[in-house]
Amino acid sequence: MALPNSDLEINRSGVQSPVAAVQQFIAAYPIHKNYYVRIFVQAILTIWAVLTVTFFLVRQMPGNPIDVLIEQILTQEGISYQEAYDRVAASFNFDPDATMLDQYVDYVGDLLRLDLGTSITSPGTRIIDEIARFLPWTIFAVGSGFLISFVLGIILGMMMAYYRDSALDHTLSLVSSFFTGVPNYIWGLLIIIGPGISWNWFDVGAARGTYDPGLTPGLNAAFIGSAIEHALLPIITYVLATLGSWMLSMKSSTTGVLNDDYVNVAEARGLKDRRIITAYVGRNAMLPLFAQLSISIGFVLGSGVVIEEIFVYWGFGHYLFQAITVRDYTSVQGAVLILSSTFVFSNLFADLTYGLLDPRVRISGEK
Amino acid sequence: MNRRFLVLLMLFALSALAFAPIQAQGNTLNVAWPYQVPPTGHFNTFASGGIALGQYQDLHEPPLAVLMWATGDYAGMVAEEFGWDDDGNYVIKMVEGNSWSDGSAMTADDLMATFNIFRLRGDTVWANMSGIEKVDDSTVKFVMDSPSSLAERIILTTNLRPASVFGDIADRAAMMDAGGDGWDALLQELTEFRPESPVSGGPYTILPDTISEANLMMELNPGGFAGDIQHYDMVRMWNGETEVVTPLVANQELHYITHGIPPTTEEDFANRGIDIVRSGMNNGPGLYVNHAVYPLNLVEVRQAIAYAVDRIQNGVVSLGESGVAVEYMTGMSDGLSEAWLSDETLDSLNTYEHDLMKAEELLTSVGFSRNDDGIWVDDNGDTLSFELTFPQEFADWSAAAENATAQLNDFGFDISARGVQFQQHPQDIYASNFEMAIRNWGLGDPIPGRSYLQAYNRYNGQGDLAGEGGGAGMNFDNNVDYSGGMVNVFDLSNQSSQGVDKSAQAELVTQLAISYNELLPAIPLWERYTNNALNRNFIMVPDSGDSIFANFGGGADNWMTTLILTGVTAPADM
Amino acid sequence: MSSKVQAAPHPLLSLLRLPFTVLFAVFGFINRLRANRAGFIGFLGLLAYFILTFIMPYFIPFDSEVNLDEIAGPVGSRIQLAVHRDNNHLRSFEDLAGKTVGVVDQTGGPSLIAPYADSINIEKYRWTSRRAGPGVRAALIDLANKEIDAMLIFSKNVAELRADSEDPELQALLAEHIVISNPELGPPHLLGTDTQGRDIATHIVHGGRILILTAVIGGVISTLIALVVGSLSAMIGGAFDAAMTALSNLILAVPRLILLVVLAGLIRFENTLFLGLMIGLLGWPPLMRAIRAQVLSLRERDFVEAARSLGLSTYHIMFREMLPNMISYVMINFIFAITFAMYEQIALLVLGLAPIDDYTWGVMLYFGRSRGTLYNVDGASMALSPVLAIAFFQVCLVLFARALEEVFDPRLRAAV
Repeated sequence: MALPNSDLEINRSGVQSPVAAVQQFIAAYPIHKNYYVRIFVQAILTIWAVLTVTFFLVRQMPGNPIDVLIEQILTQEGISYQEAYDRVAASFNFDPDATMLDQYVDYVGDLLRLDLGTSITSPGTRIIDEIARFLPWTIFAVGSGFLISFVLGIILGMMMAYYRDSALDHTLSLVSSFFTGVPNYIWGLLIIIGPGISWNWFDVGAARGTYDPGLTPGLNAAFIGSAIEHALLPIITYVLATLGSWMLSMKSSTTGVLNDDYVNVAEARGLKDRRIITAYVGRNAMLPLFAQLSISIGFVLGSGVVIEEIFVYWGFGHYLFQAITVRDYTSVQGAVLILSSTFVFSNLFADLTYGLLDPRVRISGEK
Repeated sequence: MNRRFLVLLMLFALSALAFAPIQAQGNTLNVAWPYQVPPTGHFNTFASGGIALGQYQDLHEPPLAVLMWATGDYAGMVAEEFGWDDDGNYVIKMVEGNSWSDGSAMTADDLMATFNIFRLRGDTVWANMSGIEKVDDSTVKFVMDSPSSLAERIILTTNLRPASVFGDIADRAAMMDAGGDGWDALLQELTEFRPESPVSGGPYTILPDTISEANLMMELNPGGFAGDIQHYDMVRMWNGETEVVTPLVANQELHYITHGIPPTTEEDFANRGIDIVRSGMNNGPGLYVNHAVYPLNLVEVRQAIAYAVDRIQNGVVSLGESGVAVEYMTGMSDGLSEAWLSDETLDSLNTYEHDLMKAEELLTSVGFSRNDDGIWVDDNGDTLSFELTFPQEFADWSAAAENATAQLNDFGFDISARGVQFQQHPQDIYASNFEMAIRNWGLGDPIPGRSYLQAYNRYNGQGDLAGEGGGAGMNFDNNVDYSGGMVNVFDLSNQSSQGVDKSAQAELVTQLAISYNELLPAIPLWERYTNNALNRNFIMVPDSGDSIFANFGGGADNWMTTLILTGVTAPADM
Repeated sequence: MSSKVQAAPHPLLSLLRLPFTVLFAVFGFINRLRANRAGFIGFLGLLAYFILTFIMPYFIPFDSEVNLDEIAGPVGSRIQLAVHRDNNHLRSFEDLAGKTVGVVDQTGGPSLIAPYADSINIEKYRWTSRRAGPGVRAALIDLANKEIDAMLIFSKNVAELRADSEDPELQALLAEHIVISNPELGPPHLLGTDTQGRDIATHIVHGGRILILTAVIGGVISTLIALVVGSLSAMIGGAFDAAMTALSNLILAVPRLILLVVLAGLIRFENTLFLGLMIGLLGWPPLMRAIRAQVLSLRERDFVEAARSLGLSTYHIMFREMLPNMISYVMINFIFAITFAMYEQIALLVLGLAPIDDYTWGVMLYFGRSRGTLYNVDGASMALSPVLAIAFFQVCLVLFARALEEVFDPRLRAAV
């Protein structure tokens, strides 16, 4: 409402209005017709939609931060509901009576200023600090597990397809389909109970955390060694639980490609096996997996929670889960911003790179 | 290439074996309590997110006194002398000669600061208090309207905080009228206040550099309260909930936990030679009914349910030996019943021992009958079909719900059990959005009248406190008519914790107990006993028979920190 | 070949022939399966699962009786007959005629001995709470003192009493006087007992049907949506593609836990179909993106171009030309979708979206884990049995899919 007025004033003073300038610019450079600009804007809109949905959904969850903390205190200490309420109600910077719309307007305003705000349940703590504390470990541990699993899966899957109905194929099929049939938390617990407690292969307590206490984070050998060591169990668990699905997917995808005419033609042309595998079969078979890969990158952040909790390797998954559990609305929003950006941009990246894998692919907008 | 990769993979796997085992640094006590790591967690124990460490807060912010549950007397800790003066004020004289880990002396100023911040925060203790006065360097007077057992308990269970850290905010709060100008700003300043390092007045201090999500270390604080009588140099506080700490106990790395553990895990611990310490917690799950739902508002129906459910079975399948069936059914624990009720009263109580015939008679007496399928039908012709909800994530309550449902259905009810997410469940009860539900009865508090707050207050209309839920709860009319006449049970329970005359209190408690026993507003199933896992190969404390174990582990007055503060807990190999 | 010459058969006749035609087709299929051994094994496995979960429940009753002395009992356990050392000759119920036999209520003993109530004197002991001391112990002491002649006891209690070192005096007394004369009296618990002392094997038999049905419904729905939306997105492109991509991002990026908790407060599912539908509606995005990518590539291939220039319909191009190329990939993801749906049901159950009245493998796994059975060798069966049941079901599906691949993609058969 204030905008048109100021707009007029500027015009009167003889200076060109910014709106007009933008219009002129667009007329000169039709960026809205540019494919890359359009999909980028779409991506931003998708993220905004995710954030808005999350904003309202998270406030619809039963109980508010105060309720949750009261329950927590009540189960730990023998005090009455009233006492627990008196103690915690004042210690939040959270007003249960503020209307949701006001909160939303504030939130979007802060977001535009790139301000993620402060935590509700740890008043005054900046959310950006919390994310900086937890996110790198997830990227490191679950990310490595994810990469190992994907690369191994692609290689083994292609081998299975090539040696279809061989002993290798049968063994790997059996093992991988069984391994993926067991959920990751069971793998995690079994690793702790078997090698950890019963056989004492590793020290359950010392394996916890992200690095040995007393080391200074940085580029020194001791720290890096310790960080790798601590990430091992989460990585192994992650690989155990997901390797099979990449293998079987790759095998199926390769099977679909193997007997295609161009593969036969390539063979007929006398191309070397390795070249056929990599240039012809591999690239084509990778295509659907590559699409799933981009989605899994998003999952990596959010779905590592069970592994992170079981091995007490706190990362982003733990952070998001904890924030949801204690109804820390602002922290959830901060985490979802990261999560949705990852999903959207990795998909975008995948869309843009299909063409590299398979030059025939053209996304409609590119024509 | 593949072979090279395999070799690499095997090397990785082998290196997993090479974790440096945690070094023994002198004598270390290994215990556990969940906490949040920085930056979420911090050292302001007044604000949410503070690393207070539950019962182990006593180790760095010592309590004024500990109630010895077996005798009912308070043992002074930081408070050396304490009691009511002739004007009905409470006076505390603190032990002299202790200092905080930042070097400042422990004086009455710390107590003043602590309670001034309680006032800023709006804590319950200030409801009956009109002011606090510093009498001398070690003495503080709490100015009261009238003496009460409840106020005494709340004051004495306080953990002392350092004035050197919180004094500034406390002093400014003391100068201000509650709710006046700048009050909210000061409150916000308090909640956002982040002390740079933890300051301890107890025997151990948190070492900030050691805090990880796995554990944190506390080092001996020789100048602090009880710092001179400790047998340990260090305390290692493991982080995490039950599923996370269980492997450490099995692995003998963690030697004492207060986490509630499932019976099957308990059995595994026992097989490894780990002791399980049990003490009554004065609360447990009960079967709540919505009194707005006919015929659950009929006392006969509730009594029939009490007869029809075998509480012993229910307790054993839910929590093993720590699920102890409630015997007296007075709305408070059997321990409190025996302590506060006369023998005649106890004999007169109906114990509702498992008896399907009695249940049958009761339902028949109000005109109910069984239909062709053996299901009970009420006098309106409706079957006794209800939904019983329970918080799904609570392993013991969900087992209790599952078992109670099966037992009642065997008897001819038609109940379907439904698990509800644990944060949704209390909201459903507050909002009267239930028919039958498993919630807790009783309170881990030695003042008997307070046990009734759950049924008569929290689940009966108080639930809208936090802004959600709002509703009449279980819809029970607190004005009851029982064999002793007409009383308001909620008022009774409040009155019974006022004053300091025990016999007058006992009189009111007797009325509460008998009316509850007759009317059964909610049906207690079993009392939860602790099942603390204690590895006596590492920790030396008195044998299970000692009266200290009446102080259950986990909450205020717990036995473990009491034994540490009195210098009893020691390494077993000493 | 000669159908033109033949007169139209009587409608009734063709109706009669129908079962034979179906039978013939099935046999033909099985015959083909036998050529593919892995596929055949998978087929037999699925058949076994069908019998186990759909037919056996009619013959094996669900064990709902709480037995307090068998809580989290070990695999293969059963009720044993304990006698005084002097009575070691007593081995069967026939031997026990006229004797006094102790049983503890709320254990498996009473129901086992009930049919012999006429000939045997039954001494019932009450299972009491901790404060009064457990009934099993009281009965054993009486047996050691010859107050009773024999006692029915769960094998785990025998193991416990032999290992119990807390009360060495009692242990010595029991060791001296009591022997197990018949270790195979009661029903064996093939998979052990759960946290309420109920037989796990019967729960496995009863717990599969609904879980599998729901999972298949969920898997079919999510795969179908992914297939249709994915191919359409790639074929049509433009706004539709953008909208569907955004929708899939939305479903993926809003934390599932938040969505489900909010839903749990609003709705509840009593119907398996709806549960499957919901799982399907939430599960399609990953596969949809994969199919979209593949169709983007396939539509530019020569054979598709050719079909298009022949003026064949999009429907024909998609299902006749493209699908065979993707069928193998779609199928393996369909299988994953089924397994995913099984575990997703557990998540829904935890949040109260699904009823626990049906004691499915999911309920067993959830309760087994949350009640700490994994940490106890004796009790771990409660959580691990359903996991193994689900994992082996997936193995069977994957093996069987091999055979199906060959049916749908004939090029593969030539390779064998």
